[in-house]
Amino acid sequence: MPAACIVVSSYKQIMTTPAIDTIALTRRFGDFTAVHNVNLRVDAGQFFGFLGPNGAGKSTTIKMLTGLLAPTSGSIRILGEDMKDNPAEIKRQIGVVPEGMALFGRLTADEYLRFVGRMYGLDRATTLQRTRELLEFMQLAEEQKKLIADFSHGMQKKLALAAAVIHGPRVLFLDEPFEGVDAVAAGTLKAMLQRMITRGATVFLTSHVLEIVERLCTHVAIIHRGQLVAQGSLEELRAGGGRVGQKASAEEAEPVDAKHRSLEEIFLEIVGTDREGNPAATAPEQELSWLS
Amino acid sequence: MAELAAAQRLPACARDIPVRTQLLAVAWLRWRIFVNSIFRRRPTGARQAVGLAFSILLRLILWPFLAMAAIGPIAGSGFFAWMAIAENHPQSLFPLFAGIGLLWQFVAINGQSFAAAVSSFDPSSLARFPLRFGRYLVLRTLIGLLTPSTIVGCLALLAAAVGIGVAKPALAFPAVVVLAVYALMNIFLTRMIEAWMERWLANRRFRELFSVLMALMAIGFQFLNFQRAPTRAPGVANSGLFNFVHGSSPYLNWLPPGFAANAILRAAHPFAALAQFAGLLASTALFAGVFAIRLHKQFLGELLSESLSRRAPASPIARGRVLSQATGAVAMAAAAQPHRPVFPPIVAACLRKEWLILRGNPAQLFGMLTPLIFIVILNRSVFARHSTYFLPGAIAYALFGVLAGLYNVFGADGLGVQVYLLAPIRLRDVIVAKNLMSLAVIVAQAGLAWVVVSVLARAPIPPSMQVSTALWTVFVIAANLAVGTLRSIQAPRKFVPGQAQQRRGTPTNRTSGLLIMLVLFGSLALQVPVTLLCRIFHEPWLAAWIFGPLAAAAVLAYAVVLRNAEQLILGRRDLFAEELCKA
Repeated sequence: MPAACIVVSSYKQIMTTPAIDTIALTRRFGDFTAVHNVNLRVDAGQFFGFLGPNGAGKSTTIKMLTGLLAPTSGSIRILGEDMKDNPAEIKRQIGVVPEGMALFGRLTADEYLRFVGRMYGLDRATTLQRTRELLEFMQLAEEQKKLIADFSHGMQKKLALAAAVIHGPRVLFLDEPFEGVDAVAAGTLKAMLQRMITRGATVFLTSHVLEIVERLCTHVAIIHRGQLVAQGSLEELRAGGGRVGQKASAEEAEPVDAKHRSLEEIFLEIVGTDREGNPAATAPEQELSWLS
Repeated sequence: MAELAAAQRLPACARDIPVRTQLLAVAWLRWRIFVNSIFRRRPTGARQAVGLAFSILLRLILWPFLAMAAIGPIAGSGFFAWMAIAENHPQSLFPLFAGIGLLWQFVAINGQSFAAAVSSFDPSSLARFPLRFGRYLVLRTLIGLLTPSTIVGCLALLAAAVGIGVAKPALAFPAVVVLAVYALMNIFLTRMIEAWMERWLANRRFRELFSVLMALMAIGFQFLNFQRAPTRAPGVANSGLFNFVHGSSPYLNWLPPGFAANAILRAAHPFAALAQFAGLLASTALFAGVFAIRLHKQFLGELLSESLSRRAPASPIARGRVLSQATGAVAMAAAAQPHRPVFPPIVAACLRKEWLILRGNPAQLFGMLTPLIFIVILNRSVFARHSTYFLPGAIAYALFGVLAGLYNVFGADGLGVQVYLLAPIRLRDVIVAKNLMSLAVIVAQAGLAWVVVSVLARAPIPPSMQVSTALWTVFVIAANLAVGTLRSIQAPRKFVPGQAQQRRGTPTNRTSGLLIMLVLFGSLALQVPVTLLCRIFHEPWLAAWIFGPLAAAAVLAYAVVLRNAEQLILGRRDLFAEELCKA
């Protein structure tokens, strides 16, 4: 086989290796099953939105994908590596903005970024340079000597994001990254994330703001009561496809107005039905007639 | 091709992050946290300067005591070890090593909760970084090594090794080696206990059980201590402790302190000494192994919170019911009042909320019983010799624990205080409700203590003593109510008794922390000089004449504070938002 063919063939293999791949991922807490049998596949270079109502299992899934929580059963592969076999190497390739941000309140922003850089094995000079650049980029340079405990929620979020990318991760996990961030900073962050995507990184994002997900993400998965109920590209979901455990596909679905359906409409439609497509109660039926 | 694909998957795998880099990074992190906690919040204004002055004063008072508490065991260990060898009582080394180990673990376990309260660093958060388990284990072992228990324990063992070496130079080397391993064993034992306690204490049922067990242990220890007190007089040689220490050697032979002592004492018989040393090493390995098992679970990822495991998918109807139960508690109390309510609706609603919180806290309810049991114990010891002070002493003892609640009118609610700030209510009503609930607890506690004293008193308590104690109790409660309410408005962050430098405290908080202790102790201790005055002047009713006006003044002060509370709070809304409404 000619050398060029070998290169092309191996390139295809690399590109088909998913960035995130879970098989039958399950997590139970006592009698309660928070995540049940989730099969997720996120290809490298995708901007992936992970949606679900409150308490659906989004954060538990992210914790498992980032090695912060062991699954009860099932497997996780990040960039082709099994989480069970090589958690340290996987952690080195990923960046995480966790739900609680996990910052050290008694450090300054500058000190925190320097610490994180060193923990990820960056040399001193690179750490200092990236710290400076990130603080400038996140508009935190003027606050770099202030204790993190004295930061506003939005500033803490920006700092957590800076810490998540300081080592140049190939997969970035973001749990509600825009919550509490002002519009200017949110614009900056979105631009940064888009730039990471064009350079081949994968972004896995959860957010309750569906407009943001719709604008940024190319692919979406929806989790409801611990189970994955839909997964696919936005176009697929708009066309009525991507339902997990249902026969409906893009071809079968009616194309009328499909392009004009918002993600919110799709989300409410999917979450409003159970896995068999039957309507599920999502809100109490009381009228609250006393409300003006 | 496969190799190429693998290399592309995780290109950085080949080069591992140097251990030194990560260890130094964590050491640097700890150092910066330490430095920032001391120097970052520099005082600028006059009030902050007063706060700093109080902090320095507190340190000047506390540090000599702490130094004595540390130097005592260290010097004592050295001297005791020297005595054991020089005076030819080698078996004394067994209880010495056991004592050092016990003290080490006791201080470490008691210090853990304090350290957790003041520290802003959770070492388990390091698991999110790219660390292999071995490094995580090393880091977790090293972090927090410079604690008072480890420092004093290691120095005490070093002193013991020096003492042995001075008494018999041939034993110096084995003593140093063996006691170094014994110190390591104690370090792993501490870590093992801490790690497993953290796991078990995450379970609410275990927490409750543990609180009860600790209280029972404390009571039992005091009971045994006072039971033995009368027989202790003739001399140390006949004391129970002395006999216990000497009688314990055969049992200690099979425990790590015995292995350590035998490994040193049998140095002349290499095989026997090595066997004992192997026993010590095995104990060390055992504790390290059990510690590692727990850490490995933590490293793989776990969630100790019980909230998820107790959660079950709720139907809309059930959700509605829960919602109405939770949020409706206050509303129902306000709405479903009888025609002639005892309290205004807001006060009644807040009282109900406080009652629900108290009812759901069995540890606090059990804590109210503990002082009563101690009063029974103290009646057989201290107050048997000083019966004059039995009634006020018992009341003071019973009140001390519950008075601190008066200083946390808003602090105990934390972020929930926003509800009060946003609702169209008078905050004075909230204060009144919270004070009423605290008052109910205090009065119940004092009343029960009074009943216990009346039953146990060997002779009838004179009316003058009863009246003066009642007036003094009113004074103590009213004074602490007034200062507590004022403090809750001036520095609303939660006050934790025994923690003079309050966590994340502003200088106002730090200052008031010290003032609270002064008012608390001062008001309670005032009984002593007044009772002495009564004795000097042979006038038993003098105390009543002193405490009567004081009680009236304190009640008046409380009324003044309460009348101005609304205005004071409105003027300090920013402070409330800063100290309580920030997550």
